[in-house]
Amino acid sequence: MAKGLTWTIDDADHMTQAEIYGEVLTQLGAQNERIIALTADLAGSTKIGRFQKDFPGRFINLGVAEMNMMGMASGLASVGFIPVASTFAVFASLRCAEFVRTDICYQNRNVKIIATHSGTSFGQAGTTHHCTEDLAVMRSFANMRVIAPADSYETAKALAAAIEAEGPIYMRIGRSFEPPLHKSMDFDFEIGKAIQIHEGTDITVVACGRAVLSALEAAEIAKQQGLSVRVLDMHTVKPIDADAVLQAVGETRRIITAEDHNVIGGLGSAVAEVIAASGKGCVLKKLGLQDEFSIVGYPEDLLHRYKLDGDGIAEAIQQVMKMDFEADEDWEDEV
Amino acid sequence: MALQGDEHQRLKQKATHIRKEIVRITYICGGTHIGGSLSQTDLIVALYYKYLKFDPKNPEWEERDRFILSKGHGGVGHAAVLADVGFFPPSDLDDFNKTGSPFGMHLDRLKVRGVDASTGSLGHGLGIGNGMAYGARLLGKTWRTYVVLGDGELNGGPTWEAAMAAGHFRLANLTALVDRNRLCIDGSTEEIMALEPLREKWEAFGWKVLDIDGHDFDQICEAIEAAQQEAERPTVIIARTIKGKGVDFMENKASWHYGGLDEAMREQALEALGRE
Amino acid sequence: MLTRDELKSRLFLRVALPLVKVVREDDPRMRRLTRNMNAVVQFAVKGTETGAHLVFSDDRLEVVQGIHANPTVSFTFKDLKSLNDFFAGKLALPRIKGLRRLDVILRTVPLLLSLKMLMPAADPKDPAKRALKVKLLLYMVTTALSQLNKAGEPTMAGLAEKSPDRVYQWIVGSGPSAYLRMKAGKTKAGRGIYTRRRPFVLMKFPDIEGAYQVLTSKVALVEAVKRGYVVTEGAMEYSKEIGIRMQMIEELMAT
Repeated sequence: MAKGLTWTIDDADHMTQAEIYGEVLTQLGAQNERIIALTADLAGSTKIGRFQKDFPGRFINLGVAEMNMMGMASGLASVGFIPVASTFAVFASLRCAEFVRTDICYQNRNVKIIATHSGTSFGQAGTTHHCTEDLAVMRSFANMRVIAPADSYETAKALAAAIEAEGPIYMRIGRSFEPPLHKSMDFDFEIGKAIQIHEGTDITVVACGRAVLSALEAAEIAKQQGLSVRVLDMHTVKPIDADAVLQAVGETRRIITAEDHNVIGGLGSAVAEVIAASGKGCVLKKLGLQDEFSIVGYPEDLLHRYKLDGDGIAEAIQQVMKMDFEADEDWEDEV
Repeated sequence: MALQGDEHQRLKQKATHIRKEIVRITYICGGTHIGGSLSQTDLIVALYYKYLKFDPKNPEWEERDRFILSKGHGGVGHAAVLADVGFFPPSDLDDFNKTGSPFGMHLDRLKVRGVDASTGSLGHGLGIGNGMAYGARLLGKTWRTYVVLGDGELNGGPTWEAAMAAGHFRLANLTALVDRNRLCIDGSTEEIMALEPLREKWEAFGWKVLDIDGHDFDQICEAIEAAQQEAERPTVIIARTIKGKGVDFMENKASWHYGGLDEAMREQALEALGRE
Repeated sequence: MLTRDELKSRLFLRVALPLVKVVREDDPRMRRLTRNMNAVVQFAVKGTETGAHLVFSDDRLEVVQGIHANPTVSFTFKDLKSLNDFFAGKLALPRIKGLRRLDVILRTVPLLLSLKMLMPAADPKDPAKRALKVKLLLYMVTTALSQLNKAGEPTMAGLAEKSPDRVYQWIVGSGPSAYLRMKAGKTKAGRGIYTRRRPFVLMKFPDIEGAYQVLTSKVALVEAVKRGYVVTEGAMEYSKEIGIRMQMIEELMAT
């Protein structure tokens, strides 16, 4: 009777926005022949393979040798290319830390690093493939700009902006199956300027990456209880939009930060630095991994575990506002 | 092709002059990586005085050959050459190591004219060199990339990543020179972390290997020219050298990896070099 | 732990049977047929508490689970298997009490027969009927998933038990929609769009015809996605988990 109501999500590529990043890089590559893409045996996983198809001469696969990839990127930049080097975040930022710092940042080479599978987005791959320290490390390198786009649309815009901007840029994204925050490419994006996703006056949630959508969900839940929550998409963690933070301090006096990252050294710390330097009083609650290593799990479950999903952030809002929300307790099926 | 009589002489004289500069600067600034700077000198002199295309008035000249001193601690020796060929006045080196000076133990590309890569942390030069060589080929350029490596440096993984890639990508416009003085800081390379058989390692990674006496200009120049002719693979010139070469009390001593000179030692050193 | 037959009967009585209400709302002829009829029509398994009854009163129809004290007409099956066979479209004659109320029987039977539309073999050409089938299938999926959990079926219950507050939402173009909400062991199937939170998994069918092709398995999912019949957003692994359970339902109800 019910035949046909079954499917498995195997060919997820077509159901997600995974292709958007690859498309945009390819388009940019068509417009600017200085762009050269590098990968460390992860062309398929990082979606940079699309670029390879169209510009095989401007695509270099270094095999499982990330440090050499960064060194080569530096060398290529010295000859006038704009290298876009891509690998998993944990390798890009930690395995290659010194190469990024010395070959790229210290020598101010025009290299764009696209670090994929950042935070806990690699889920089942486990802790060795998660990266909850990259924002902290990359922030501490002078000359480096650090961006954490909220969804694939933002990644596309950030990439275009990064190519336009001179100097080293580190961009951390998920595994590209994250749900979209924006409805289309129709929004403004500027490196260093936060995007206000939701207006509010009671409390502000400053988030980056996957956590931005969760923050928006939390704001919508809170709205039903009469709370007005401001949500700031702080896609650029360095240089942070201090003005936006200071405005939130002055106008809402309560800030929750949310990032798929250790609470030490990342977005939360960056916001704390701004608050502390301002000398103004403000409640700050940092959501993220509480100085712990992640565990194996489906990515959405991990978000939930670290209170980075809509519920987690809503709960944090409750705590800061010291309020309880009414739950929906109607469990009868509609027949 | 063997060097003509006076060319051989000219290079030797240059090498001695550079070595004396190294001694002079070491005395003034309190200490340098003198051992390795002395062992690498002949290789660098051959390159800069006979083979490298560059313009001291225009350090960024696009068609220049690239040179990377991957063993960046040899910076004082490199700086002496750069000064001598005209990138900046030799008197600039009097401030070597001083606060605010553009010159420190490891040369900064952004501060010193003529330096193509800021090295010092070992293991970076060959990778960056890969990028330059690959880029040159993509752009259809004829300029070449030369990377001088230390032998202790070859203990580290990243250099071999770069070697593997250079072999894989057949970067024939890339030449590596290994300053094989057989000493690292704690002692002999073969006792600490043995490199032999070294030739076979490079060959296995797809490189053409030339073994030479790193202090014989005939052999050095022949090797560089052979590397320039080689069209299929990158070439590595493993140059047998002597740490502290030219200063008898320093030769082959691991302890002279880094050191300072007082006036007496300086005189002794200059005198030894005078006899060269 | 329920047996397979027990699970099946639950699905038929609690999920499929109530869909006659939807048919009736959708089809003016069906409504006219049973307007002003006041009667209780029961389906039950002999000697058990297993059953459900349709309560017609004035213009309304309610589907109530359980045994009625005094049904107008009663279809009694000798065992669970017979009831299940009957609803699966197989030959299984129940004992009918209340034959003298032929008028009630004659007006109820067409409603029951309309459920045949849900069967794979049924492929109506009329666009309105196709749209109705899509709506019915949509409601059936969500309710069946929820009922399985409520019945303690381990595969479904296992998923619901560990779940934080999550909503799985299905939407067809600007047309019918249904959702399944799960939280710490509890589930609720609902119609329309759940507004209190965003969906954890969202399956969108841009139009009726695409939904029809997918929901009736005429086109495999991967192909469907390529053709744009369905777009999925949200947690990948959980779409898969739900898909596995939907497969289970199909197997239960088809045989």
